[in-house]
Amino acid sequence: MAAAGGGGGGGGRATTSGCGLKRRYAPHDQEEETMNQDQSSKEDWCGRLWNGMDLLKDVTENKHVLPTGLEGIDTLLGGGLRQGQLTEVTGPSSSGKTQVCLHSASHAAVKHMGVVMYLDTSNSFSPSRIATIIDGTNDLSDQRGFDLPHKERLKTMMRSIVCKSVFDIFGMFEVLHQLEVSLLNDKVKSGGRKICLLIVDSISSLLAPIIGGKYPQGTTLKPPSPPHRLYPGISRGRSMMISVAMILKKLAYKHNLSVLVTNHMVSAGNGAVKPALGESWKAVPHVRLVISREHGSNICTATVLKHTLLASGRTAKFVVPS
Amino acid sequence: MEHNRSPYPDAVTFQGPRMLGICSLTSSHRNTSLLVLVTSMTYLVAGFTAKKLLRSVVSQGLVKLNWGMLCLLMNTSAADLPTKYDLFFRIQLAINVQIPVEYGGLGGKAVYIDTEGSFMVERVYQIAEGCIRDILEHFPHSHEKSSSGQKQLQPEHFLADIYYFRICSYTEQIAVINYLEKFLGEHKDVRIVVIDNVTFHFRQDFEDLALRTRVLSGLSLKLMKIAKTYNLAVVLLNQVTTKFTEGSFQLTLALGDSWSHSCTNRLILYWNGNERYAHLDKSPSLPVASAPYAVTGKGIRDAVSSHHKRARVT
Repeated sequence: MAAAGGGGGGGGRATTSGCGLKRRYAPHDQEEETMNQDQSSKEDWCGRLWNGMDLLKDVTENKHVLPTGLEGIDTLLGGGLRQGQLTEVTGPSSSGKTQVCLHSASHAAVKHMGVVMYLDTSNSFSPSRIATIIDGTNDLSDQRGFDLPHKERLKTMMRSIVCKSVFDIFGMFEVLHQLEVSLLNDKVKSGGRKICLLIVDSISSLLAPIIGGKYPQGTTLKPPSPPHRLYPGISRGRSMMISVAMILKKLAYKHNLSVLVTNHMVSAGNGAVKPALGESWKAVPHVRLVISREHGSNICTATVLKHTLLASGRTAKFVVPS
Repeated sequence: MEHNRSPYPDAVTFQGPRMLGICSLTSSHRNTSLLVLVTSMTYLVAGFTAKKLLRSVVSQGLVKLNWGMLCLLMNTSAADLPTKYDLFFRIQLAINVQIPVEYGGLGGKAVYIDTEGSFMVERVYQIAEGCIRDILEHFPHSHEKSSSGQKQLQPEHFLADIYYFRICSYTEQIAVINYLEKFLGEHKDVRIVVIDNVTFHFRQDFEDLALRTRVLSGLSLKLMKIAKTYNLAVVLLNQVTTKFTEGSFQLTLALGDSWSHSCTNRLILYWNGNERYAHLDKSPSLPVASAPYAVTGKGIRDAVSSHHKRARVT
């Protein structure tokens, strides 16, 4: 723990506990441990040995699925966002990606599944919209509709969504590092519940200013610390992207979170579009969905590009409720 | 936090006489306090495309307007105030933001960054006069109560509160946006930043397309940060171009998908027959909708009667 904290303090931001290079070489003394994941995440070793039956038991007992609240998507995902996995939603502009994120956050809040951390890069987190969505789901389940307790319940639910704005990649590293530290310290957030869902709305906007180009140096962004190469041979932009990816996946794995990120589309030549962030990003998310919206309607279509368990290429329609 | 039971949050509307047309597009019910909007903190970057129909180079009438200014420009509790939208949307915004607080406006200042040189001061003066006349018409008794408030209602004061920057190249544009943070730290009462044609200098003669994407996404992130930190609205303008897909030409936003991804809200201005329409294309909290509007001598108003409208110029 101390080593991890100390290692994170020195050096540039990109080498913080994100890739855990220091930890990989820690001596592994304790290999027979209990299945208690909380206890294991506090210790600093390279991980315990699992056998197949332990993994299966862990998956069936611990790895739950967080439904997004949108039926079509939940069907495609086999129930919802799986804990421990990174899900990506991509699509052209105004296709409903932010709505999927807002719905997932509200649904997790309504069902009291835990705290939701929403990292917003485009100022599109709308508390009023969340309130509307929560109201929509509540009306169905609760027929009585008292006014005062309803407000209280709404307040409690909304308090379990924590929103932070990040506007550059270094801010993002900072936030994720703080999150990691507070989770390792077992500090639960806002009212005694653990974080269950991490949403990054538009990680591609953060990475767009630094990715691309023939030259390894970034252009407009200047990092606060002297630049150094995390992975020599790759451009700095791509190495930041891979670092972020590793941090997110590590958070998902170690603390049993679902991570949902959004991506946008770029042109692929001949008028076609493809998801942004390139080839190296393709391997990062466990599940990738492409959504699109018909012009002028609320009906969106989602297609599975990649899924670890279910067949890809399946499509479903879903409606973003007003 | 506060919320009301209306299906949509009260979003921005410009303060003005009656709230119809575009106002109803962007707000559902009245009486949302500024408090709700400020605490909800959704300051959005908008992209604009305002097509000046006076210019002959106007493309075929599909004007794409990206705009997102929810919050900040508050709505009053008095019902029925017409919207004020001018063809020169951005000018109208710069004027409207200065309506003093006692008349329901924001009493703020505006920053106008001009890349094309299309800011016509005479027209601004005209719009300011039109706005003042409408305010006085709507609040006929208020000026008796606050004489100091009425003194402020001069078009000269409105013009004095617009900070204007003229930039001539893309490096100057980047420099202005970098400087804007410091500027806004000193001038805390700026409530809106309008950037006329943010993509103008990036469209011609920019060889390295990857660099262009990087620079523009960096710019948009900086603007988002400014909007959030200083609690103001950022309105950008953009243009339409044609895109050749599937064997036909389609009008689409200039600079492509990556730029359109950066904005929070998008409002498209277009012609529909002989009427001008505004269409809200992208918004995190409002549904897709359209509303007609008209350009009059006083500025932008609702499209109520046909004889005020200018015929479409193609």
